[in-house]
Amino acid sequence: MSRPIKVVMAKLGLDIHWRGAVAVSRMLRDEGMEVVYLGNQFPEQIVNAAVQEGADVVGLSTLGGNHNSLGPKVVELLRKKGLEDILVLMGGVIPPEDIPALKEKGIAAVFGPESKIVDIASFIRGKVS
Amino acid sequence: MTKEKQKLFDQKVVEQLGTKKERWHEETLKGKVGDKKYYTESGIPIDILYSPSDIKDLDFQKDIGFPGEAPYTRGVYPNMYRGRLFTVRQLAGFGAPEDCNQRIKYLLDNGATGVNIVFDLPTVRGYNSDDPEAEGNVGACGVAIDSLEDMETLFNSIPIDEISSSVVTHMPSTTVVLLAMYMVMAGKRGIALEKLSGTNQNDFLMETVVGSAPEILPPKASFRLQCDAIEYASKHLPRWNAVSYNGYNLREAGTSAVQEVAVGIANAIATAEELISRGNSVDDFAKRMSFFWDLCNDFFEEIAKCRASRIVFQEVMRDRFQAKNPKSQMMRFHVQTSGITLTAVEPLNNIARSSIQGLAAILGGAQSLHIDSYDEAYSAPTEEAALVSLRTQQILQAETNVVNTVDPLAGSYYVENLTREMAQRIRDYIEEIERKGGLVAVTESGWLHREISDFAYKQQKAIENGEQKIVGVNHFPAEKKKAAEIEVFRYPETAVRQTEKLARLRKKRDQAKLDKALGNLREKCLSDENIMPYVKEAVLALATLGEIEEIFREEFGLWQFPLA
Ligand code: B12
Repeated sequence: MSRPIKVVMAKLGLDIHWRGAVAVSRMLRDEGMEVVYLGNQFPEQIVNAAVQEGADVVGLSTLGGNHNSLGPKVVELLRKKGLEDILVLMGGVIPPEDIPALKEKGIAAVFGPESKIVDIASFIRGKVS
Repeated sequence: MTKEKQKLFDQKVVEQLGTKKERWHEETLKGKVGDKKYYTESGIPIDILYSPSDIKDLDFQKDIGFPGEAPYTRGVYPNMYRGRLFTVRQLAGFGAPEDCNQRIKYLLDNGATGVNIVFDLPTVRGYNSDDPEAEGNVGACGVAIDSLEDMETLFNSIPIDEISSSVVTHMPSTTVVLLAMYMVMAGKRGIALEKLSGTNQNDFLMETVVGSAPEILPPKASFRLQCDAIEYASKHLPRWNAVSYNGYNLREAGTSAVQEVAVGIANAIATAEELISRGNSVDDFAKRMSFFWDLCNDFFEEIAKCRASRIVFQEVMRDRFQAKNPKSQMMRFHVQTSGITLTAVEPLNNIARSSIQGLAAILGGAQSLHIDSYDEAYSAPTEEAALVSLRTQQILQAETNVVNTVDPLAGSYYVENLTREMAQRIRDYIEEIERKGGLVAVTESGWLHREISDFAYKQQKAIENGEQKIVGVNHFPAEKKKAAEIEVFRYPETAVRQTEKLARLRKKRDQAKLDKALGNLREKCLSDENIMPYVKEAVLALATLGEIEEIFREEFGLWQFPLA
């Protein structure tokens, strides 16, 4: 592929834990991807940024317990704009029992604590081409 | 205290011992150890063996001394845990105030000796439970507080005149509101301010460096509110620590043990300078400065850190600020065991990690302790997990005998050497911050943020390439690297209940009184006056937390958090 994969990464809503999101962003850059890190945003702004940046992937990071309500909202808003092609990933502290429902609502994958960034990168490469 | 040097060792003997150590290296050790270099977590080289020559110019009185006496290396109280055991202060925080009140009682009923509350993210970040920004976060990660009435429910029938409370308010803007609510609540219960004992967090770095959010006050404004709360408490709340310099959270975000303590003390320095420039004397407020350290896995380094932090604080207060009251020179600190070192895989392993970290806290002379729970990487602790943490503290206190003699590691060649090394590195980092313009300036410039971001990035890489070993993760990886089957705590539904309470509250308030109080508050934001009395007035008029914070956001403006 000529153009690097473009990832728009955000902290969801009020979640304050930026350590993982920043580490993942910087390491995906090392993997050759272009990452635009938005900091903390709500779903509308995340989707707007994804459109503006022409993102292939939207990455949502939350360790703050708001994954069930705000995560699927991003997918919904993307679909409304006809952007169901964009891969939406989540990461952070998300109880395992919540993951099936998130996937049903269109989150492609959830990467919890101790995920390896090489694995995240190869998952992305497998889906975006 | 004697002025002349009292070296611990006879210098001649020590010199000979130094030569003997070299000989031992060459003759006895030779060939039995490879070339690999070892370092502490913060990068201090570790020798294979320490002996008197490694602490040869140590001066007993000046460098170690006796507990309860300067330089407080051995602890701030002469009798330490024989006088009073460290406070068992397990965190509680979830749901609506009435839910959390039950957890507080559960912990106290099972032998906790202090209260420790965390608030949900809307509360910490200054929104009401019914604000759109709060969606999905109400009652999660902490308890929801919207108004004075919630604070009353939270502490309902908790004897706050007898036990101390820690309120983990994090940011200054949240602190001024929650502290005001706490005071007014106590007042309504007939408890005098002089009787209130406890601590609130109140660290401007929480807002501007440690945690990110959509809307953030500028560093200067946040720092001013921090100082306002400390100044106010120094005049009205003699038993209240209105600040807990938050090394813990910095460390968890990504710093070494050295940076953690240095930044905490740099903040104390900045505060002292500001409050003195406002006309206060250092002995008015320094005795109530408290600190919050993170104890991670490098056992001896963490103990040395605790000891070194007391030494450096004492020096700063004595030499730089000429504090006269010994209490102004005593660093008291709370410890929480590290959350970042705990894993999602094989969560029961975390009990071992936390116990060792808790032991280090005791050997380091902590005043109070929270031990993290084994389900740390999943959610707030279940009742069972919280009980294991509580019991771990009780086992350390009652079964191990470690609390019965003060500072037992004093005199250890290694620990003393490391304590001095840590102290020097802490001084150097404080100096670096000051060379760059001081703590507020390095926050505004984003330098401090970058230091943390780089650390977090490097550590993640070290974990990924196996340089940093984590059992169950990259070292003896768990067989099925899937999440363990453990019960995950679920937060009770809270938003609906809080929204209803807010609706009732808004109906019953005296609107004129409220408008006047909020108007006064707005007017004082950009003045030189201390904000606390005006926040208190607003709280009394039943202003919500969100209303007060909105005024701060409008008057102080917002700041762009560094993104990197
Ligand atoms: C570090 C930490 C903090 C630091 C955060 C510093 C920072 N700048 O990030 C500090 C100390 C400030 C903090 C504070 C709080 N914390 Co905290 N914290 C943690 C802790 C211990 C580790 C998180 C971490 O950074 N891990 C390291 C990084 C690298 O891992 P990670 O973020 O999980 O990221 C990995 C994966 O998840 C994934 N990933 C992450 N994001 C993304 C995004 C995408 C797109 C992808 C693909 C992958 C991905 O890849 C990463 C690499 O493997 C966790 C517990 C734990 N062990 O997980 C609690 C934890 C997240 N915290 C928690 C809480 C409650 C809080 C507070 C809200 C408590 C309170 N009410 O006061 C406060 C916040 C207060 C405030 N001021 O707002 C809870 C959350 C509970 C919940 N969700 O139900 C936890 C789970 C602890 C607990 N059990 O109570 N915390």
